[in-house]
Parts: sequence; structure tokens; C-alpha cells
Amino acid sequence: MGVAYKIEEDQAQTTTYREALFRCMRGALADHPETFILGQGVDDHKGTFGSTVGLAEEFGAGRVMDSPLAEESMTGIGIGAALNGLYPIQTHIRADFALLAMNQIVNMAAKYKYMFGGRFEVPMLIRMVIGRSWGQGAQHSQSLQSLFAHVPGLTVIMPATSDSILETYPWIIENHRGPVISLEHRLLYDIAFRGDDARPENSPLSSRLLRRGKDVTIVATSIMVLEAKRAAEHLAETAGIEAEVIDLHCVSHPDRQMILDSVARTGRLIVADTSWQAYGVAAEISRIVCEHDPSILRAPIATLGMAPAPCPTAKTLEDLYYPTLRSLADTAARMVVGEEDHGVTLPEEASMADVYKRFKGPF
Amino acid sequence: MTFANPHEQLFYEALRIRRAEERIIEIYPTDRIQSPVHLSIGQEAIAVGVCHPLRIEDPLFGSYRSHAFFLAKGGSMRSMFAELYGKATGGSGGKAGSMHLTAPEVGFMGSSAVVASTIPNAVGAALAAQRRETGQVVVTVFGDGATEEGVYHESLNFAALHQLPVLFLCENNGLAVHSKLSDRQAYGICEHAATYGITTQRCREGWDFVRVNDLVGQAVEAIRRGDGPRFIECRTYRYQEHVGIGCDHDVGYRPRGPLEAWQANDPLLNEPALVEAFDPAIRDEIDDAVQFAESSPWPGPEQLLADVA
Repeated sequence: MGVAYKIEEDQAQTTTYREALFRCMRGALADHPETFILGQGVDDHKGTFGSTVGLAEEFGAGRVMDSPLAEESMTGIGIGAALNGLYPIQTHIRADFALLAMNQIVNMAAKYKYMFGGRFEVPMLIRMVIGRSWGQGAQHSQSLQSLFAHVPGLTVIMPATSDSILETYPWIIENHRGPVISLEHRLLYDIAFRGDDARPENSPLSSRLLRRGKDVTIVATSIMVLEAKRAAEHLAETAGIEAEVIDLHCVSHPDRQMILDSVARTGRLIVADTSWQAYGVAAEISRIVCEHDPSILRAPIATLGMAPAPCPTAKTLEDLYYPTLRSLADTAARMVVGEEDHGVTLPEEASMADVYKRFKGPF
Repeated sequence: MTFANPHEQLFYEALRIRRAEERIIEIYPTDRIQSPVHLSIGQEAIAVGVCHPLRIEDPLFGSYRSHAFFLAKGGSMRSMFAELYGKATGGSGGKAGSMHLTAPEVGFMGSSAVVASTIPNAVGAALAAQRRETGQVVVTVFGDGATEEGVYHESLNFAALHQLPVLFLCENNGLAVHSKLSDRQAYGICEHAATYGITTQRCREGWDFVRVNDLVGQAVEAIRRGDGPRFIECRTYRYQEHVGIGCDHDVGYRPRGPLEAWQANDPLLNEPALVEAFDPAIRDEIDDAVQFAESSPWPGPEQLLADVA
């Protein structure tokens, strides 16, 4: 593994999500000659929100390739390149655009190994950015992890921190011989992380136990992991409620045992996802627990996600659309106290976007 | 086997494909082949003419109608019949069936049931060949219907833009399932491809494997020299129905006239001396392959979840 993406030993140092992405992209190109980055605008002055900026100049246009607006063929070309010895890293500046590549992702990448009896491998990383806030609207905001994770043959991750990026991307590129879809959250890009979360012991393609707690388990994805940690800290400080927080991270291959052990200890489960609840992560984690042993639950499962509608643009509606720190803390307090009128003081933040957003549009 | 000239060799290879598919027709009613078959009978000359000038390491990507290209590229008869039977000894261990034949050991890189889906894969393999300087020429084979898909246009553009070493080979049999080309396309296939700056050639004599071989040989040579992508459209004729083993000239969507005209030119129907000379060896090979498939084991339950991710 190259020095370019060694995690800093100094735990006090912080790394933004964007810096982590950039270090991984640069490290991949520097350490693995078979890698190349292919995506819309990867070589322009903005460089995929800063994650590839300057790399075309450093490594050449053949390693960092701008692409035509042709998502299906670009994905198919990535697959073909992978079949003939290259490692493609592909980018979609919004996950919504990847819907144009569904045929290649679902019919080809996910099946090329199995359908041909293990005769081929398709090692590739497809990065997709989830948008939120500042009027992203219905087609720049979708969080499509369950669509991809539904399909056998795909590995789907949602890195929630800089550490997750730094641990996972180099490992995937070096060790994983199949297609990986990574859903990066745009609001995370500017956040600096201290890098003091527990690291997974084996493969980084698993879940992470980020906080211990005896009262309730919160299984969260992507930016909801940050909200879960903030809610847990608030509940501990104001009410002595101790929430256990699991970062699901690998949506397609969650650590079932970690989740089951945690729920067995706490007896309570909240799933906080960035997407719609129906047929999604919330439904799947509930399935895992209920199929294993519903008697470990002392209360009904609660789930949080986007309102079951396309995302509205108006801020007044968008603020209602997403789950918040407040709704998460309220759900946990209600569940642990066991009453609607739980008496726990709730945090004040109205909108996560107000807290995390450091950018002004259009992206 | 030794041959007196290229015509005889290509004739042998084409006859081998036709006899293999005729054996599939014989076996099919027994239900021992439980896989949708899209037969290439009538189109074999293109497969042998295209594959003959290629090197083993030149990757070729096919479609669901790929028995002919699988065999012409060098795929084993045993591997194909075992795969059609769904046996563990098939080229894909019985997980692929007729529509997903593969033989990576001879550069046959797979085939897809979703029309046009392997076209960008071939272009990507060509990108890798160019980047890694492997000297490979990549071939993508598709039908006239595939040229209607958006991804085909996207792939032509990218291949031309980056001058990739790829041959686009269109087998134009004039039909998409049962729909006539004139009911589907507002463009000329070659004329359209040429707008990307790609050198195009049309072969109207798709029954003539020597002509196809010569055209493709020249194109492959140019591509290997670094001249960028080439495009060849071969007219051909599908004798059988779209999927299945039957003939369908009696159901009303196409007349018999063109079939008879095509058959009048078909070398496999008009050179009985060569047929007589070659049939015994071919029959032996197919007998052996069918026997191999019949006696091979089924994939075990451990295979159900093997090679998923």
C-alpha cells in the first residue's frame, strides 16, 4: 500500500472527506499503474468537487479521462477495460445520473463473474455523489443505495467519514476483484474528521461499531451516522440515555452479527438512513433482526428516512423532507423512556443542512 | 485436418457450425437442452470469415446469437454442448446456457442477452489494449437491431474519439425478432457509422466466407497498425425463427423468396463434394461432444452461491 494514503498517525490532525478522497484518488494512480479515472469533468478546474483536481496534469489525460455525456457506455467501457487488465474508477457527480447506466451496472457488471461461471472478474470502483440542500430538487438528491444493494454481485458502500474513505478505497483497489459502488454524500465533503473512530479488524467492507451504549442501538448510513453520534452525545449529556451507534458502511454486506449482538444487548433498534424507508436499508435491517429473533426487541423497531416523495426544492418543504438530529433524538428518547411525553430536552438544530453545509450552490 | 486452400478450411469451419446447430435441432424436442437457442444457421460464413484473421488473444464480444462465433473463435464443441445441457463441464459451469457462451482461453469474451450490451465492453477492452500496448484488436459483433440502441452510438463516438483498436462488425440479417429493418431505422447503418469518421465497408455477400475473411483481414491489419476503429456491415440471412429451432416462413411476416435466393448462394448447400468429404469428421466431433455433455455431472448445490461477488 502506498504512502500516499497512509492514515496520519497524529490523531489530533483532521482530514476532510474531500482531502481523503483526493489522497485516495492520487494514491491509486501513483501506486497502481492499471488504474484510471473516467468521468464527467474529472480533469476540469473543479475536479469532481476537489477529489481529482490537478490529477490529469500530474498523471496525464490517459489516466484521468474526461468522458462524453454517455453514462451507459462509459460504464460498459469501464467493464470492458476491467476485463482486459485495467482498474477503472468512475465518477458520477450525482448518483441520479447513474440511473442511465443501470443496464451496464445491473445486467453486466453485477453478473459478469457469476453468469460466466467465475471465468471473469470485473474489478472497478464507481463513485456516486448524493446531493442535498440548496435546492437540489428531485433529480440531484436521490440516495439510491437500496436499488444497487438489492442486486447480487454488487458491493455497495456509503463512507460516512474521512477514515472510512482512507481505509476502504485503497483496500478495495488493491484487494477486491469485483465491482464496488460507493455513495459519497456531498454534505460530507467539507467536514473535517479527527480520525479517532474504531477501525474494522478485518475487511473494511463491513460495519463499524462507533459508540457503545446500553439503551438503544442506532444503525445509520452516511451522513445519518454523524447525526446518530450527535444525538447519542446529546442524549447522554441531557438524559443519561446511552445509545449504541453502528455505521452500517457496507450496505450490501452489513455485519449481521454486530447488529444482532448490539440489539440483543440494548433491546431497541432505530435505523436512520439517508433514503426512503420502503424496501430499503430500514426494511433490510429490520428483516435481519426479525428473521433472527424478534424476541430480542423490547420495543417496536423505529426507522427514519426521507419522506416518501420526490425531493422538493423549496427550503420549507426540504426541511420537512429529511430526518433531523431532533427527530432522531426524539425517536430514541421516546423508545427508551417508553412514553410519548418523555420529558427529554431535544437539541435545537432544525436542519442538518444548516449545520453541515459550508458551500453555496450551484453544487 | 489439412486443407487444400483457404476456401476449404473456411468451408469446413462453417459446416462444423451448421452441423452443430442442426444437432441442437435434433436434440431440442427431448428437452435435454433447456435454454433458449438463437440459431445462426445461414449466418455461419460471417463468423468464420471474421474469426479466421484474428489471433487467439484478440478479444471478441458476442450477442445471444453466438454459437457460430463461439465455435469459430476456437471454443470447444464439448464445452458448448455441456453448457447447453447445463452441465458442470460447460464453459461457464452450466450457469450460462446458450445466451452467455464464453471461452476466455481463446478470446471469446462473453455474450449478452440484452441487445447491444457488450458493445461498450468491447470498446473498453480496446481502451485497455491501447493503454497497455497489448497489440490486441478487439471485435464487437452485433445485429442490425443493436444499432438502434443508444449505447451503440455512444460506443462508436468513444472509439472514434480515442482511435481505439476495435472492429465493429454488424451482422445485418434485416430482422429484429420479427420486425423488418425498414420499419425500424431512418438511417443507413454504414452511412451513420461513417459520420463518426470511422472507415466503413459493406459486404453484401455475407454467404461468402472468403470475401468476409479478406475484408476483415484487411481491416484487422489496419487496426493493428494503429489506424483506429473500423466498421464492417455484412448482409446475411437468418434461416430459422428468431429463437427456437423452427422455420417461420409460413406465418406471414416474411416471404420465402429471399430465403431461396440466399440458399442458392450458400456454399454449404451447393458443394456436395466438400460436404461429403468433411461430414464424417464433423459428425464424430459432435457425437463426442454430445456424449460428453450427456455423461457430465450437473453442477452441485455448492455452485449456487459460488462466484457471486
